[in-house]
Amino acid sequence: MIALVQVFKITVKEYAAYRLNFVLWRLRMFLNLLVNFFLWTAILDTRTQFGQYTKDSIISYILYANLIATFVLGSRTAEIGYHIQDGSIINLLLKPVSFFKYYFARDIADKLINLSFAVCELLVVVWIFKAPLVAPHTISVFTVFFINGVLISFFVNLMLSFIGFWTPEIWAPRFLFTVLVFFLSGSYFPLNLLPDFLYYFLLATPFPYLFYLPAQALIGHIDPGLVFFQIAFSFFWVFALYKLTVSLWKTGNKQFSFWGR
Amino acid sequence: MMKTYIKNATIFYLLSRNALKITLQGRMGVIFFLLGKIIRVLFIFAFLALVFNRTRLVKGYNFEQILVFFLTFNIIDTLGQILYRQVYRFRPLVVSGGFDMVLLKPIHPFIRILLGGVDFLDVLLVIPYFFVTFFIFAKMEISSFHMFLYLLLIINSMVMVTGFHISILALGIATTEVDHTIMIYRDLSAMGRFPMNIYKEPVRGFFTYIIPVSLMMNVPAQAILGLATPWFILFSLLISLGLLCLSLLFWDYALKRYQSWGG
Repeated sequence: MIALVQVFKITVKEYAAYRLNFVLWRLRMFLNLLVNFFLWTAILDTRTQFGQYTKDSIISYILYANLIATFVLGSRTAEIGYHIQDGSIINLLLKPVSFFKYYFARDIADKLINLSFAVCELLVVVWIFKAPLVAPHTISVFTVFFINGVLISFFVNLMLSFIGFWTPEIWAPRFLFTVLVFFLSGSYFPLNLLPDFLYYFLLATPFPYLFYLPAQALIGHIDPGLVFFQIAFSFFWVFALYKLTVSLWKTGNKQFSFWGR
Repeated sequence: MMKTYIKNATIFYLLSRNALKITLQGRMGVIFFLLGKIIRVLFIFAFLALVFNRTRLVKGYNFEQILVFFLTFNIIDTLGQILYRQVYRFRPLVVSGGFDMVLLKPIHPFIRILLGGVDFLDVLLVIPYFFVTFFIFAKMEISSFHMFLYLLLIINSMVMVTGFHISILALGIATTEVDHTIMIYRDLSAMGRFPMNIYKEPVRGFFTYIIPVSLMMNVPAQAILGLATPWFILFSLLISLGLLCLSLLFWDYALKRYQSWGG
């Protein structure tokens, strides 16, 4: 545990060492938030309702989804692929600490630093542009979805990096995943605005569990008839992705070889 | 003079051929990137269709008009990526000292560091963008004058895009920071994906007069929809010329102070 705390601290210090990089990264994220926020403000300029959402609830959804996405998707696992490619992953494998726990500690540090900035950005939007923000609802349901979302994201990110065991083209699948996540997880709009068949199909995939359902819980739009099914499915995805990640890790390790280290 | 053009064109052709060969080295990467980019555009289309399924107008624009803005943004953005992809690879050249070798060669450095890495993946994407855009124009019965004006203003936008990329290169020489600057440029220009009217002041003013994203991404669409006054079009032409001149001055300034970072 002490080792993991140290890993956490080192990751935070890495960010402190490359402050400008991080600030520029957050600026980019803030610009993306602004586009989405203003787009929805414009759509709701002359109306108070959109589908089953009021103006306040949909703007709150966009803001909360952005905040949750910052935490859930924040990850340092992308570097693993490069460590596999240049062989430096050996250094990590030799350390007396679990690989998965090591990266989870790094991810948590990444998530918390990003979250602290994202909260400030959200407050700027609320304060300067008078964005309506409904008070958080159903915290208990949110917590379950949120923790499972973090785990799902962690395992998927690990698997995307493990592709490096088999091919040097590790960046392209991650790019595709990022594109899919931003649309299928409800970054641009709440997914239940989609036609029913598409919405129910998406509920069977891991995407809505990343930040759509946690954000829905916070604005109080959880469907009571579906919530148990959704919670069960989120646990299913955590378990299935965990098993798949471990299996990929073991297979990759078995055939991994590198010269010169 | 003519000889220089032919020499530059030949070098550009050779660099582009190399860029194509490099691209084709990673077949899986090509497929995933293309797929990702196509999906991203299709998803935004779907999102806009979803919105306009429930509302007729957004800030006074109908679905077709918003699509014209979105497609125009995509055309300008993609053309910029096709031509100036090499800017994304400039930082390693500066920090490794490899830029010295570029400067020593008897060709203008822009041929190597600005135009030297044509992105052929984006060529595949820009063709359908043009087709869809002109299909919408045909449906809207746009006059040939407006069509000419649109193409002229696309070229004008490309002058601005060039100015921004030259500034990023100059900033790269001065500070060695390129990677985030180019991505911030991309995110800033993405603010022009939709009409600037959707933003509130002071954001709208900032992206029209301070960083002219609106002039770069919106004016061609505004002109073809008959929403831009002649004075505003003239203003955008002057701004793009001014931006290009400023970027070239910045480039000269950065180059004079360049002391070779790496090596």
